[in-house]
Amino acid sequence: MFDQIFGNYLVASGTITKEQFMDVLESEGKIRVKLGLIAVAEKLMTEEQADEVNKLQSIMDRRFGDIAVEKGYLSDDQVTQLLKKQGNIYMVFVQTLIDKGYMTLEEIDAALNKYQEDQGFTHSDMDALVSGDVDRTVQLFLPANTQLCDKHCGIAIRTFIRIIDSSAYVSKAYLVDELKVEKFAMQELQGDHKILSGFAADGNDLLELANKFAGEEFETVDLDALDAVGEFTNCINGLFASEMSGENVDLDMLPPVFYENPVSITGNQFCVFPIHVGGKEIKFILSIDADIDVK
Amino acid sequence: MAKILIVDDSRTSRKMLRSILESNGHEILDEAVNGQDGVQKFQALRPDVITLDITMPIVDGVEALKMIKALDGDAKVVMVTAAGQKNKMIDCIKAGANEFLTKPFDQQEILDVIAKMV
Repeated sequence: MFDQIFGNYLVASGTITKEQFMDVLESEGKIRVKLGLIAVAEKLMTEEQADEVNKLQSIMDRRFGDIAVEKGYLSDDQVTQLLKKQGNIYMVFVQTLIDKGYMTLEEIDAALNKYQEDQGFTHSDMDALVSGDVDRTVQLFLPANTQLCDKHCGIAIRTFIRIIDSSAYVSKAYLVDELKVEKFAMQELQGDHKILSGFAADGNDLLELANKFAGEEFETVDLDALDAVGEFTNCINGLFASEMSGENVDLDMLPPVFYENPVSITGNQFCVFPIHVGGKEIKFILSIDADIDVK
Repeated sequence: MAKILIVDDSRTSRKMLRSILESNGHEILDEAVNGQDGVQKFQALRPDVITLDITMPIVDGVEALKMIKALDGDAKVVMVTAAGQKNKMIDCIKAGANEFLTKPFDQQEILDVIAKMV
């Protein structure tokens, strides 16, 4: 994810052009291969086993390697070796920038230091970003380090990257009491906690999510497209409820609700987490144990 | 091949299920958008298998399952759940659910479960 975050920072700061960034991403995509494909190519797993693990990922919210080890298809050592072969995506990004002559290593270092300074990140934060650890990246971009918020947002972002678009990335989340949005699909969870989560965007930006999840080609964000967004939200909430049930926390999911016309969401310091995908911004909205109103 | 009634408030899920089942030779008798609608259509159509979403408005899947089983104890009902609905799943087992499918859908899992029912 940090290749996207840092690349967009370089474009915004005028260090590289948008076209150069897109060129680097395209080359990077050709170089970096998914772990399952490498495992099959190395004859450590069969295609059927890799498919099975990929499918389990959508309902288990766990990494490919962890599931493969649990199923007995790979050992811990084999996963470590495969990850080395796959390489760190940020390092691939840096190498491609240099190979294409868009930036020197010194220029990249200077830009990275400026990014760190601008964002107020520590060296440890930067290590987490560069390592590609999605969980820690999500935590760094969250405003309030509440355990439930971290956990729910982590599941939402990981599931988004896994099911909707592997090139999606986040920018800093923020807390608000009111947010006006044009389209919104949400779901409430009741029980030991009162939770509302959902996705909102303006114009037709939610199509980036709806079309990919439903495998359709909606042209506008109508109720059918919002239904697909609601079903995706339902999957995320299911994964969250599943994880919480392991901690003896009971949560019941209510049917998703959709808003096709502009609405105002009001509450008490609810979290808005921007997700960038396909040049569009989709907001993941999360309220925990607070009243929230949508009108 | 089975004659199936799909009960789900989500158009996306109904369409995904219909597409997978029809392309593998099953017949979709009808669709229902909530539990109440589903029970009425079950009575009228008597399908071989009902796929019944748990989380629905008006009458949810657990209540609809109880009504369907009261009408026909042998009805073959596949409950459709998101991950994390453990307590609801236990309620469904107690009410006589025959099988479960988890969202997001996996084509082979759907076909295997339906094959077990017929």
